[in-house]
Amino acid sequence: MLFNLVKKDFIISKKYVYFMFFAAAAMPPYIYLRMPEYKGTPGFILSAVFTVLMLIQNVSLKEYQYPKAAMLLCTAPFPRKIIVLSKYIFCIAVYTFCCIVFAIETLFIPAFGGLDIKLLLIMFFVISVFIGIYLPIQYKFGYEKTRLAILGIIMFSPVITPVMLKTAKTTPVVIPYIPPLLIYSTLFLSSIIILLISAYISVYFYKKTDIA
Amino acid sequence: MNNILEVTGLTKSYNNFSLNNITFSIPGGCIAGFIGNNGAGKTTTLRTILGLAGRTSGNISFFGLDMDKNESQVKNRLGIVLEDGGFYEDLTLGEMKNLVSSAYNSWSEKDYKRYMDMFSLNPAQKTGTLSKGMRMKYALTLALSHKAEMLVMDEPSNGLDPLTRSQLIDTLADYMDNGGKGVLFSTHITSDLDKIADMLIMIDNGNIIFQEDKDTLLDTYRIAKGDTSSLNSQTYGLFLKISKNEFGFTGITKHAEKVKHYIPDAIIERPSVEDIMLANIKGGDNNVI
Repeated sequence: MLFNLVKKDFIISKKYVYFMFFAAAAMPPYIYLRMPEYKGTPGFILSAVFTVLMLIQNVSLKEYQYPKAAMLLCTAPFPRKIIVLSKYIFCIAVYTFCCIVFAIETLFIPAFGGLDIKLLLIMFFVISVFIGIYLPIQYKFGYEKTRLAILGIIMFSPVITPVMLKTAKTTPVVIPYIPPLLIYSTLFLSSIIILLISAYISVYFYKKTDIA
Repeated sequence: MNNILEVTGLTKSYNNFSLNNITFSIPGGCIAGFIGNNGAGKTTTLRTILGLAGRTSGNISFFGLDMDKNESQVKNRLGIVLEDGGFYEDLTLGEMKNLVSSAYNSWSEKDYKRYMDMFSLNPAQKTGTLSKGMRMKYALTLALSHKAEMLVMDEPSNGLDPLTRSQLIDTLADYMDNGGKGVLFSTHITSDLDKIADMLIMIDNGNIIFQEDKDTLLDTYRIAKGDTSSLNSQTYGLFLKISKNEFGFTGITKHAEKVKHYIPDAIIERPSVEDIMLANIKGGDNNVI
């Protein structure tokens, strides 16, 4: 049931999925070519954030275009909880794809170094925060209003990203002094907790929604 | 026979529309037509009883099971046909089937293939390319392929050509002959119900106007036609609605014997379901002389 709902999300945005998966693969090498000093990390960050963001947006657009399809699913014995959870699984599946592609690229582009698990976990945390906020807002306010908010974030991202990178470089970091295992497990657990709380809130909103 | 659907005291309010104390029931073995004009509240009622929209108050039970407490079990036993199907247009019929079938405990591939063949549907075709008639047939295929005990259909015949509507009616008759326990069929095209419905439930402006056995209803009402000069203050009151033109009047009445008595020249005819529906809609054009 859950698998079929996730598969449906991939199929309804099939053309966009192909394009975004190509972009996800191309972004780290391209950014490395443009900014060799960053060695693949910013490319992976950008590819993961944008691929997840653009694909979930596209799936939401398709759901918005076919509102009666949601009616059909809700008249079938699909619990609304499962319908909501499928969106979270979809995002995690897309992020997993980005990680696998980046892992393969690290094998072929020596400058990327080895695969940094810490980077993957930090990005998992970032993605969890993003979808943890995005999906409940969408279930509460609908696609149109959420899209406007996302557009605003995208428009301001060229201004915010360099500032964030500069701040990250100059801020004293205590993380190296904390045992890596503790960092990894805390990041992973925090991500899971964020996703669980967010899914709970989304399910609550969706159960209250009149499907039209 | 036991009721397969009972709706009691259902209310729901929007800013400019409300369902008011909707109460009706459908006995087993019955094809019930849910009639009313556009905007009367048919779709809102169906959406509410299917749990798609919340309600202010009221109880809904299918097969004696409370809908709120047994939603999954009830939905497994219902076949739903929505107006225009409700498909993802980028999915093929096969992909849509894989999605929908995964929700049902008793999905039957054999039944699915039988209906796909019967309706000449191609599983590789995208749902977005289906014609209106084919969409309805595919929706019916999905609804009938999981041993549904009851069909709930929202305006299934809307926009269909006469041949497809006839096929729809034949399929419903076949479904009832092969173990179906009941059908709730919402429509504003009442000619189909003349042929197949056992019971009629009428809604207007969010209120149930009547729930009646179709034959009893058709026996209760009569159309009377006569000369306008025979209408007076006494005879006006015998009619639910009267329309007049240069050739005379046409009125619908529940008091055919009295009409015959007061207007002996009147021609009395049996009404159609549509005549009865129009007579019971408030605010029509013809209710004022």
